[in-house]
Amino acid sequence: MSEAVPIDFSYIIDEIRSGTLSQSNEVALKTEEFVERIIAEKDWKNAQELMNLIKAEIKLISEALPLHTISTNILRHVLNIIREEYDIGFKSHVEQSLHQMMTSDSDAMGDYSKMLDGLKTSIIDHLSEYKTELETSIDNIAAQATDHIYTNEIILTFGQSNTVEQFLKAASRTHSFQVIVAENAPSYNGHSMAVSLANHNIQTTVISDTAIFSVMSRVNKVIIGVHSVMANGALKTACGVHAVALAAKHYSVPVMVLTHLYKLSPTYVSSYSFDACSSPASVLPYSFAGDIVSRTNIINPMFDYVPPELVTLFITYQGGNAPSYIYRLLSELYHPDDHEL
Amino acid sequence: MMKENSTAPKNEKKEKVGADGLTKKERRALKVAEKGAPDTPNVKDVKKQPAVQKPSNISDASVSKKERRALKVNQKAPNNISAKPTEVTKEESKEADVNEGKSKALLRAERREIQEKQRLAKLAAKENSLKKDAEPSGDTKNKIKPVSRSPRKYKKELPKESQKKVRLFNHLYCETLNNRGTCIINNVHPTFIALGEQYSSKTIIGSNARCLALLAALKDLIRDFVTPPKQELCRSLESSLNESVKHLQKCRKFAVSMNNAIRHFKVHLTQLNSTDLSDADKKCKLQDVVDVYVSNEIFTAATSISDQVKAKISNNDVIVTYGCSSLIKKILIDSHQDKKFKVVVIEGRGLLEGREMLRQLVNAGIDCSYCLINSATFVMNKANKVLLGAHSLLANGSVMARNGSAQIALIAHSHNKPVLVCCETYKFCERVQVDSIVYNELGDPNKILNIDTAEEESPLRSVSSKTPPESVNLMYDVTPPDFVTAVVTELGFLPCTSVPVVLRIKPVKE
Repeated sequence: MSEAVPIDFSYIIDEIRSGTLSQSNEVALKTEEFVERIIAEKDWKNAQELMNLIKAEIKLISEALPLHTISTNILRHVLNIIREEYDIGFKSHVEQSLHQMMTSDSDAMGDYSKMLDGLKTSIIDHLSEYKTELETSIDNIAAQATDHIYTNEIILTFGQSNTVEQFLKAASRTHSFQVIVAENAPSYNGHSMAVSLANHNIQTTVISDTAIFSVMSRVNKVIIGVHSVMANGALKTACGVHAVALAAKHYSVPVMVLTHLYKLSPTYVSSYSFDACSSPASVLPYSFAGDIVSRTNIINPMFDYVPPELVTLFITYQGGNAPSYIYRLLSELYHPDDHEL
Repeated sequence: MMKENSTAPKNEKKEKVGADGLTKKERRALKVAEKGAPDTPNVKDVKKQPAVQKPSNISDASVSKKERRALKVNQKAPNNISAKPTEVTKEESKEADVNEGKSKALLRAERREIQEKQRLAKLAAKENSLKKDAEPSGDTKNKIKPVSRSPRKYKKELPKESQKKVRLFNHLYCETLNNRGTCIINNVHPTFIALGEQYSSKTIIGSNARCLALLAALKDLIRDFVTPPKQELCRSLESSLNESVKHLQKCRKFAVSMNNAIRHFKVHLTQLNSTDLSDADKKCKLQDVVDVYVSNEIFTAATSISDQVKAKISNNDVIVTYGCSSLIKKILIDSHQDKKFKVVVIEGRGLLEGREMLRQLVNAGIDCSYCLINSATFVMNKANKVLLGAHSLLANGSVMARNGSAQIALIAHSHNKPVLVCCETYKFCERVQVDSIVYNELGDPNKILNIDTAEEESPLRSVSSKTPPESVNLMYDVTPPDFVTAVVTELGFLPCTSVPVVLRIKPVKE
């Protein structure tokens, strides 16, 4: 944290855009560090001013990276932390009883402009706690692996996910099981996933994405990572996971989604720009059959929408949750006023 | 024993007769096999594996030329039928004209004479010489060399990585010519040897194309067949056919269409056995049987299906199709003449057939989109119907089709889009199957590692762990009947579950 570097998120935006920063937990940690610097170094007098600073950043990020949700979710959660610390500071919101929850009116809250001594320290303390949570999220998820995987299971996963990789490796320490990896065209990162798992002595089989339905009849569990989770428990995932989830539903195979809490977004499929198409070069080579390429519409979307009814279980660092519980987790993570900014 | 006698080509002169070693055709076929999957320019009507590395490769031109020649036979056959159903091929008709005046006994005597000369010629030539035969330039499309008396030996390179068996699919591995080093092929007509190469190298793919090629080869066999002394034509022909089929089975498992065609032919062979026609008449009859089968079961059926589906396509439709099916291609191109619609070609990796489909549809002027199977959900939202080809329809109503079709049907079903499976009834099959693993065919697992659109090679190619990841490349999958709205056959729109009914009425129809 040298003073020379300005407090500016655009560096991170550039890195995400260029693809040099693609691991979700790295993005999360960088965002958290960025917020810490705003709180520590920027000029603010009360909670409201700090929240305005952060809200401005959220707007900036969501405009620059409309498909990116991790950073904005973390910043939203930080807003919630600030509110909590402020409320604790004024003892107004300590123990929320059921009665209070049912009767509280929103007018009573929403004023965060009073000066409060020690607010900065308490926020920074809370943030460092949150940082530990972010850092240990993968390990905590992986630690639950043996609760979900038993010996000689056949597990299907799709493409590459760092979390899934750690999860399976953790399970392989005590159990032996078989993993089938769908290659995830057109990025084909399933291949490197398979290599990584095989290097960990897990019996791994690579299949093309066309064979997902065929092998699903023999699969015991589907374990996948996710790009983000929507408020209704639906998934935004790599293209092709919808077919996986449908096939799993057809064969009644449980679908487990490993997710970090910062991937939970207070959004619905219609409420923001959901999908984008990437370069068609990875679908059809430019050199294909003369001018056919120029006379064809080549489609290469990035994301799939997987409805919540196709998901069996979300596994977060806190444990497993059904998709119907996501709304509750969201209300713990973010303040309702911060959903739409 | 039989092969000596079964070989006299009636339309050939002695100097064309190949020496005992490999014929030019076979050597080419071998070359093709050794090269791995050949990159060949595409041939009409026969689905071909699209070039994976380079679309048209000059160095492969020689291969393709020969293949084209071989394939032309397949295309020719039906045309001839439509013109004059009793004639077989051009050369043959010429031959027939010449021989018209001669009595059958005379013909037989002549043939025997030719055969005798060949035998002498062969003895003169060194047994295993690999000298090039003087092959006159290709106005005769399907010159047939006699089967040599000495067993043919040829060596093939073992695939670089011997197949690692995946435990789940252990039962699907079988010993094929591909993974045996040397093999001896005995008593098999050379057309079948060449055909076997084309099957195993996946030069001829798609169940219609494979069946047409088989029937064309079968006609060659009938034409060149000479009944061994003191034997009946039908019986000896059947045993010769069995040998050939056995050889082809080693190259690649038979498609249902091929099994059905062979079975149909054998029924007629047995029926003919009890008649007292002369051998030449019997041969003529048998060739007719094949021609009529091709024309009725494949071409007329396709036209009928095409007409029926056309009626269901309306203007501005968006039609989703998967991979490459010769029937779907015909339907779309036929319908394009008076309807305006868009087509989305979905690609399944493995054989990359969708590219070939795309190429032909775009060249026919159809407005096409192209995407990988992972994007199926994305395109399904805008689709009006899904047209799928089939490898076979099983008796429990399941559709066996190119791997990935089930996934498309599943997604379409979840989006409530009609799924029409187009399938001629000659591909119906009594087998029942509920999943894709119990019976399937395994393709080359290395195909999965070939990514022509990626800049880097797949990391799977350079693995050095104790338990390297395995890869599986299934050829087919089985679509449950619930995902299929209707099956379009030449008999009309049917539910999947009508397969056993059709199978029961079919023999009556014949």
